[in-house]
Amino acid sequence: MEPTEKMHEFSMTTQIVENVLREAEKHNAKKVMEVHLVIGKLTFLGAEQVRFSYNILVDGTIMEGSKLYIQEKNGVVKCSNCGYEGDLMHEDNPMYHVPAPTLRCPKCGELVNIVGGKECTIKSIRIVT
Amino acid sequence: MVPLKEVVKAEEGEIFDIELEADLLKANRELATKNRELLKKHGVTAIDVMGAIGSGKTTLIEKLIQSLKKKHKIAVFKGDLTTIIDAKLIGRHGVEVVPINTGKECHLDANLVKKALQKINLEDIDLLFIENVGNLICPADFPLGSEKRVVVISVTEGPYMVVKHPFIFMDADVAVINKKDLAQAMGVDTKKLKIDIKEVNPNAKVIVTNGRSGEGTRELVDALGL
Repeated sequence: MEPTEKMHEFSMTTQIVENVLREAEKHNAKKVMEVHLVIGKLTFLGAEQVRFSYNILVDGTIMEGSKLYIQEKNGVVKCSNCGYEGDLMHEDNPMYHVPAPTLRCPKCGELVNIVGGKECTIKSIRIVT
Repeated sequence: MVPLKEVVKAEEGEIFDIELEADLLKANRELATKNRELLKKHGVTAIDVMGAIGSGKTTLIEKLIQSLKKKHKIAVFKGDLTTIIDAKLIGRHGVEVVPINTGKECHLDANLVKKALQKINLEDIDLLFIENVGNLICPADFPLGSEKRVVVISVTEGPYMVVKHPFIFMDADVAVINKKDLAQAMGVDTKKLKIDIKEVNPNAKVIVTNGRSGEGTRELVDALGL
């Protein structure tokens, strides 16, 4: 087989579909109606591209026609210096159009650790038996 | 005897919700932790070298090998989509190289590294460079089990590489700005790039290098604590 460039999302979505199908088979499902995903904003997975890949991958499976719900989860950082826990700070620089994220604590300026926002979780599925 | 009531059965066409809570990226993270434990057990320091296509990752690794091969027993995992061109280049320096062809994938993952780890005798080495596929996006989602992560960019990619790809720098211990000799010709200010990196990750050590001449290699060795 000729190797082709694959999108990051395509390989992740392949895993998602494989996992859902395995779980559905375990429960003798005839059809999968819904798939609920949680994707962290600090991952490189774009919801739009995941959806695109999903629709291609479910074709001809019991997941065909299922609804995909994607809940995006904010990045969470924690500061070991002042105890701040929450969204990470974005450095607003008008030159760049998109504010750049920074690992500096918005409260005290010390370095923070990323504690959330890096997940890609299949939360639940709805099946028909 | 009282007759039994009718057996209660799940009806055909019944709808179920199944809680899965399966984090697909977590599976990779857990595998990475296992790789790390294995490396630690054998006293091997592993360094993940990530960076843009053509930024000079291989050349920098070659220079690092040249300056470290007397002090350390080195092996290299060389990730590439399909070729072994770079793996051969590194092999010239007399170190063990395991090429990893990802085929279609845009990044190495912990599972591929786990397989590569089975190909070498970890007792024979104490330093492992893992060169990731050239890409500033996907590798950030897939830790491999290395102790340190290095991100390499070069001035030929233009002045906005950091602000365009900030997330990969968040996981970096060391960031390298390569091809400093071409900075003027490219009209790129390496000081500005350095500020951009520090803005995203104040903890990252930033080293400016010329991979071809070897300038900055010593500073890179120091930054990596080798």
